[in-house]
Amino acid sequence: MDENVIRVENLVKYFDGRCVLDGINLKVPQGCIYGLLGRNAAGKTTIIRILLGLEPPTRGQTFLLGAESMNLSATVHGQIGYVAEGHNLIQNYKVGRLVKLCKALSPQWNDEFFNHLTETFRLPMGRKVRELSIGMRAKLNLSLAMAIEPELLILDDPTLGLDTVARRQFLELAIDVIQKQGRTILFSSHILGDVERIADRIGIIAAGKLVVDCGLEELKERVKKLRLIFPESVPANLYLTEIINQQSEGREMVITVVNWNQQKQALIDVFKPSSCTEIPMSLEDIFIECTKPEPMPITS
Amino acid sequence: MFTLIKREIEDHIAYFIGAVILSGILIALSTLLAFHNYDSPNAPVLSIGLWIPAIIVLMIGLPGMGVSQMYTDRNRRISAFLSTLPVTRSRILAARIITGILAILTFLVPLTITAMILLRIFAPAGSIYSIYFSIYSSFIFDIFWAVFLMSFACYCLGLQTGWTSSRITPTLGGMALTFVLVPLIFVKGFGLHIVVILLLFIIASLTRTWHRFTSTSL
Repeated sequence: MDENVIRVENLVKYFDGRCVLDGINLKVPQGCIYGLLGRNAAGKTTIIRILLGLEPPTRGQTFLLGAESMNLSATVHGQIGYVAEGHNLIQNYKVGRLVKLCKALSPQWNDEFFNHLTETFRLPMGRKVRELSIGMRAKLNLSLAMAIEPELLILDDPTLGLDTVARRQFLELAIDVIQKQGRTILFSSHILGDVERIADRIGIIAAGKLVVDCGLEELKERVKKLRLIFPESVPANLYLTEIINQQSEGREMVITVVNWNQQKQALIDVFKPSSCTEIPMSLEDIFIECTKPEPMPITS
Repeated sequence: MFTLIKREIEDHIAYFIGAVILSGILIALSTLLAFHNYDSPNAPVLSIGLWIPAIIVLMIGLPGMGVSQMYTDRNRRISAFLSTLPVTRSRILAARIITGILAILTFLVPLTITAMILLRIFAPAGSIYSIYFSIYSSFIFDIFWAVFLMSFACYCLGLQTGWTSSRITPTLGGMALTFVLVPLIFVKGFGLHIVVILLLFIIASLTRTWHRFTSTSL
């Protein structure tokens, strides 16, 4: 089998003539926890749906566990746990019936683990799915996805609708899965703190393109936000390449630069700033900078 | 596959109950007719009077079942959930079609068995009427296949037109095509030619449904 559990090759998707994904290339190796980020309607869910064979691509190919997405066999499906955005479950079924159905269809179902999850989440087996709150549905969906002991876990905004305690429980469960060697997770979320906590590689989609695709630490290393204070006014001819954001006021200039290195430092030193301090950036700050119009690609 | 078929049956149990009730009514009326009017000159008219309402119910019920399976699936996104489990779209559709066939057989098999039993009663082996048994049993066999294929074709139309989010298209489209399809039997009669026509229709309809179901977004 290919060492890349997820492979996306030149993926293009149009909806009603509107380009949502524009030539996405992505590889997720085995054991990686990949955080897929993007603003609303950036195309994160579309990528996940195409990967799972729920949506046909306009162009390009996607592979999961070495199999082409539109032709995934039942065996490959059995190795993938999926928590859908909005928790797409059969609404008119009782929880117990839905669980029974999933159990009957999944050869690797772990009853002991599932019972542990239902006790942890206090899932009401006798109630209909549509009567559950969004948070309860999220917990049910997560429990169903975890119970099959998946090789690959795909989580599309799984913590949406969960309270702080449930979110923490979820993250602990995810970490539990990660600790089982070789498991891969593709994790899309709006809560960047969650992604920052568990992901070891980050992808950011903006304007239909994958503008960031590198390790989390590497990303933090490569994107720098600097506050420069010059003795007089800000020099007009300070031309740095790969600036993704720049703000000047009087003697002060704040710049966000990609691929920060010694050459760039030397270029700034030419203008003799009185001070040059680095402003620490969280993943959220980097995300905001990278999703501005005309984003700068950051890939390893 | 068994789990998927079981799920389809449980979700559409009303159609199976309907098939049992309709079959039961027809069996009761046929038996009464056979024992009380078998030598009456009005017997053929009464038989047709029995079958026409039954065929109309089939013409409405079976496309209705196909439409219901596909329409509820699409709008409740059942296959979107099922296909994230260890199941392929082809298996989901195959389970659905097998469920349709089972519903048709639930209606037809008891009727056919009743017809054969009545025929045996009225043409017992060793009697002078026994010659009618072989003639009419092959006729019953032809009717069984023709009605089975007609019912299945109506059901396939329902499957084909039901995969939509609009309520009008499946209802009107399915009904219109069914009302064109069923009179074929009355025009062509029972026999090999109608079997071939219906088989071709079923293959075309199922191919189209399979192609749409396996390639569309869920």
